[in-house]
Amino acid sequence: MADESQVIDSPEAKKIIAPGYTFGTVTDQIASVVLTKKTPYVVMGTFAVAMGLLLLFLLAVASVPGSVLPQEGIDPAAVTQYYAAHPALAPILAKFSLFSVFAAPWFAAIYLLLFASLAGCVLPRTFRLVGSARQLPPRAPRNLARLPLSASYRTDLAPGAALESAGQLLAGKRFRLRTGDGWVAAEKGYLREVGNLIFHIALLALLGAVGVGGLFGYKANRLLVVGDSFANTVTALDQYRPGRLVSPADLQPFSVTLNNFTASYITSGGQRGQPSSFNAAVSYTAGPGEPVRHDSLRVNHPLDVDGVRLFIIGHGYAPVFRVTDGTGHVVFNDSVPFIPVEQNGLTSDGVIKVPDASPTQLGFAGVFLPTMVDVGGRLQSAFPAALNPRVSLLAYAGNLGMNSGQPQSVYQLVTGGLHRLPIAPDPLAVGQSMKLPGRAGTLTFTGYRQWISLAITYDPGQLPALIAGIAALAGLLLSFLVRRRRVFVRAYAGEDGATVVDLGGLARSDAAGGFESEFAGLAAEFSGAQDGRRFVQVARPEDSGSPDPSIRGASNGDPALRDPARREVSLRDPALRDEEGE
Amino acid sequence: MPVNSGLADVSNGLLLSTVVIYALAMLAYACDLAFGRGAVAATAPARVPELVGAVSGAPASGGDTIVGTGAGAGDTVPATPGRSAAGRWMRTAFALTCVGLATHVTGILTRGLSEHRVPWGNMYEFIMAISCMAVIVLVAVAVRYQAYYVGLFVMVPVVFALGLAVTVVYTPAGALVPALQSYWIAIHVTAMIVASGLYIVGAVVTVMYLAVDRYQRRTAAGQPSRIGGIIQHLPEALVLDRLSYRAILFAFPVWTFGIMAGAIWADQAWGRYWGWDPKETWSFITWVVYAGFLHARATAGWRGRRAAYIQLVGFGCLLFNLVGVNIWITGLHSYAGLS
Repeated sequence: MADESQVIDSPEAKKIIAPGYTFGTVTDQIASVVLTKKTPYVVMGTFAVAMGLLLLFLLAVASVPGSVLPQEGIDPAAVTQYYAAHPALAPILAKFSLFSVFAAPWFAAIYLLLFASLAGCVLPRTFRLVGSARQLPPRAPRNLARLPLSASYRTDLAPGAALESAGQLLAGKRFRLRTGDGWVAAEKGYLREVGNLIFHIALLALLGAVGVGGLFGYKANRLLVVGDSFANTVTALDQYRPGRLVSPADLQPFSVTLNNFTASYITSGGQRGQPSSFNAAVSYTAGPGEPVRHDSLRVNHPLDVDGVRLFIIGHGYAPVFRVTDGTGHVVFNDSVPFIPVEQNGLTSDGVIKVPDASPTQLGFAGVFLPTMVDVGGRLQSAFPAALNPRVSLLAYAGNLGMNSGQPQSVYQLVTGGLHRLPIAPDPLAVGQSMKLPGRAGTLTFTGYRQWISLAITYDPGQLPALIAGIAALAGLLLSFLVRRRRVFVRAYAGEDGATVVDLGGLARSDAAGGFESEFAGLAAEFSGAQDGRRFVQVARPEDSGSPDPSIRGASNGDPALRDPARREVSLRDPALRDEEGE
Repeated sequence: MPVNSGLADVSNGLLLSTVVIYALAMLAYACDLAFGRGAVAATAPARVPELVGAVSGAPASGGDTIVGTGAGAGDTVPATPGRSAAGRWMRTAFALTCVGLATHVTGILTRGLSEHRVPWGNMYEFIMAISCMAVIVLVAVAVRYQAYYVGLFVMVPVVFALGLAVTVVYTPAGALVPALQSYWIAIHVTAMIVASGLYIVGAVVTVMYLAVDRYQRRTAAGQPSRIGGIIQHLPEALVLDRLSYRAILFAFPVWTFGIMAGAIWADQAWGRYWGWDPKETWSFITWVVYAGFLHARATAGWRGRRAAYIQLVGFGCLLFNLVGVNIWITGLHSYAGLS
């Protein structure tokens, strides 16, 4: 407080800077302007847009690490690899959620702020639009030649009749009219702002739809061998990621059987081995007691059951083995899915666990080669189709560790309690067996089946998102294609007794253009309809290409009009002021 | 269905000759810059008759038209309105451009026919299609807005891209992987190609705008400029700014549509309409930056040079999405055929 009074009492404040003014009075006057004047919409709008711009760029920048670093939600295996490759860096990155950028709190903060600023921008503008839709166009300015577009002609009609005919023409073109003493004002193109608002509101709706999908939807994976079935329950799914508000009872009770799967491959040329089509024949019921239906699942052609969709996202081979243990009992006879480790030949890894074998448990780990070839002593698969299928297995005996209480992957052998049996992993053809040493038993490769991996997704926000997307696009087009424009007409008796009709036109300068030709057309139409003579068109004030500077000068009393950037702020005439903010 | 190798060879020949023809066109455009007349300065008076013509569209205008500077920069982006009196070099260049475009389009068509599919399944085909779109936009703005002056500046990147396409990223004609076997490829990828072609021209014109704007500011400040000779052939900054803006106004909704079509396709193919795949992420980033450009242009204090820089950042994102993401980042969109 003390400082403040000091400043005010200082001699500086009392110094007279002009008759009747001191620094103090000038400051008061400035303060009174700033403090009492309501902040205009344009200023607030500009601030909101600048804020929105900043957040937009922040969002763009924030998305970048999500595309450069492996993401947990997209490719968890790649994240694990990254951890292995950069053991020091990875935990630090993880601390900043850089492996799940799009689920990170800071990412959410950015887009929620953005959408909050968007909502704060859109709501008042909607009210203003509703208000302006009820309002008539502004009065015609006195001097129409000052408008960005203007024209003038003479006619033999009386001023009143000329105005009436012009008004009728404009009304016929669906302009909104306002008439006064000696003038007509017309406005058109409210749809521009409508489109703009629809676009922004649709973006908000899109975010809502994404949110709905995240809360009420779920994603799951399931590997299914040909001949097998599964029901859509949490226990039957390999991987299950529910939305926050989904309970296991909400899962649609369908069940699916995979009857057959065929994959075709290109057999020649540079693309040899590349898949050309997949086809999975399935039968399914929507629920217990429902009729059985058949469908075929292909890439780009998912199965839709009750709004839940099933997609093929992978495929591979499940060789079938029969294992007889040391006591002569068949203790295993089943298919075992092997996981492809490469795509060109679909070489696949897998393990077989035989916990029921006695005297000791048995385990096998090996590879399945769909089309085995011998390349200089190294076995590999030359083609993804099963043209020459072989399995090559290492055999183990001992304790599989399956009762230790620790969860085990079905695709991995815990070799801690096992010892390798001394038998070479010679490749087996279908029907061939490997006899385990020490009378541990026999394994027979009896055949193979194929499996597919299914992605199961349910997203109730999908249709709303689509509708919001289409609305956004429609709004965007509307706001780009329509321009808001005003046309003013004044008619009065000229010096020589003939009627002079002045026309003025104004459009938002940034719109797609074309108003000039529309205006010229209107002017021509008016003067034609009214048998006008002496048609004069005056240039846009900023047009510097005029060969005759006098015309430019005549058309334009205000130098600020020449600069389009300055024009918008300099115009004080209500007809010229552009209340449209973005 | 097997690839028709005869047609594929025809396509290769046509596209190779396209590169040569475009290179010649580029040379001719450059000659026009070097030896042609200063377009804007020389043709300004040519405006008058043209404009009187426009005005006399009014039936009863009679003989005493007073006159007009006419339709103005905003409408037709006339720039060099008198370009109908284009020089010999310019006419040669434009004719070569049109011939090149014809072989280009035929080359792409025969490629598609040889493969029995839409010919945008890999990087090579994609670059072919995008550069074709860029040349189509070039011809369109030349005809519609008399903006022949953009010829050289569009041709340089086009020839460069095509040269890379036929040498480095060339991929023989072949079938599509199952993931791409959907009618959505015709919708989604076509939209992306059209938008990219427009974005390219928008970016080229924006670079020209920045150069002219800089020149104008320097000369206004009385400083010398070394590029004055070239600038003489270009319209003023405002006209370039508008032309570029118009290209983006076209491109942005098409890009938006392309992203949406891609989302619908992704939904059918992968079970989700948006999954932050690198390609998706970068198309989103591109969209966001161009949206920022459009907002900036409508905001006082940002229009002009700042908005232009934002547009170039957007174009950088577009390029990175096309080149960088295909080469350095693996994702679900890894169809480029570069390995």
